[in-house]
Amino acid sequence: MTENKKNIMDAEYGIDSRYKSNKERESEATALMEARLRRMKNLSKDQITKAKLLQLKLKMEEYIKNPVCDNQNYFSDFLKTYIDSIYSKRSTFAKDIDIAPVSLSQVINNHREPKEEFILKLMIHSEKVYKNVCEFHKKTWYLVYFHEKICDKMSNQEQWRPEIEKHVQVSEAI
Amino acid sequence: MRIIDTSTGEKHSVDILPVEIDEFKTLRKDRYFFDWKIEKNQEAYKLLIKGSSDILGLVSIERIPQEWRIHIRLLTVSKENKGKEKKYDKIAGNLIAFVAKIAIREFGELACVSLRPKSQIARHYIDKYNMNITGMTLSIEVPEIIDLINSYDND
Repeated sequence: MTENKKNIMDAEYGIDSRYKSNKERESEATALMEARLRRMKNLSKDQITKAKLLQLKLKMEEYIKNPVCDNQNYFSDFLKTYIDSIYSKRSTFAKDIDIAPVSLSQVINNHREPKEEFILKLMIHSEKVYKNVCEFHKKTWYLVYFHEKICDKMSNQEQWRPEIEKHVQVSEAI
Repeated sequence: MRIIDTSTGEKHSVDILPVEIDEFKTLRKDRYFFDWKIEKNQEAYKLLIKGSSDILGLVSIERIPQEWRIHIRLLTVSKENKGKEKKYDKIAGNLIAFVAKIAIREFGELACVSLRPKSQIARHYIDKYNMNITGMTLSIEVPEIIDLINSYDND
């Protein structure tokens, strides 16, 4: 067998792609970027939307796997990205899930908690949208919402605990 | 993400996890083809069957955010998974799809994964993963990168 044939048969044993010099890296990066920009111009709106939705799904999965306890509003930020990736007007999304635009706006801007019905509608909407994009687990929005809730409550105990604790006792000690 | 036992056709779910710093010294060249010790300061990942500690494949990457790109530095399967007699199939594909997911998560519609295989084997990567070629560099971007991720996520 020729050396070439052997290499092709074993093509997946490995690749060493490391650049040997900065000059090599820079010249290849420039050529690659030019070629990519040419190809990007041909992307359809639909292909861009699918990429954005896949990005959102992967970000939500990453958050669920490693929830970050900070002051960011993950649920509403992901929701904003979801709506803005698909719709040109948020009010159209509100209409599609049969809620008042003002209620949607309050959830997005963290002025009210989403009702259970809102999350259920969002779950069904996402199932329909992601059907043609990628696998999307129906638990995803719920998991994001509750992970954020848990992080929020655990890291802000000093705010809620003193008042709540006044109303908690263990009358039958173990 | 799953790999296939070539003798039985059985599918095994895999984990792809960061290589721990102490592990680099255990990655011998006679099993993993390259000197992985010199990648210890790079971002590197290992592929294992869920519940097992045996490393079946490795990849190291460089994130290049200013180009919305992730470059695969080194990629390998373990010795027994090379060639016609390989024990498991789809190890390299799963590693490339894993890197593709990082690229999409970070860069969305601008995402790109690049690598530079030797010219004799470039055709294999172009055909198998639908990659584009620019000079010596192969790359995968939207829309092909989405198909790649879906084919390894939905196997």
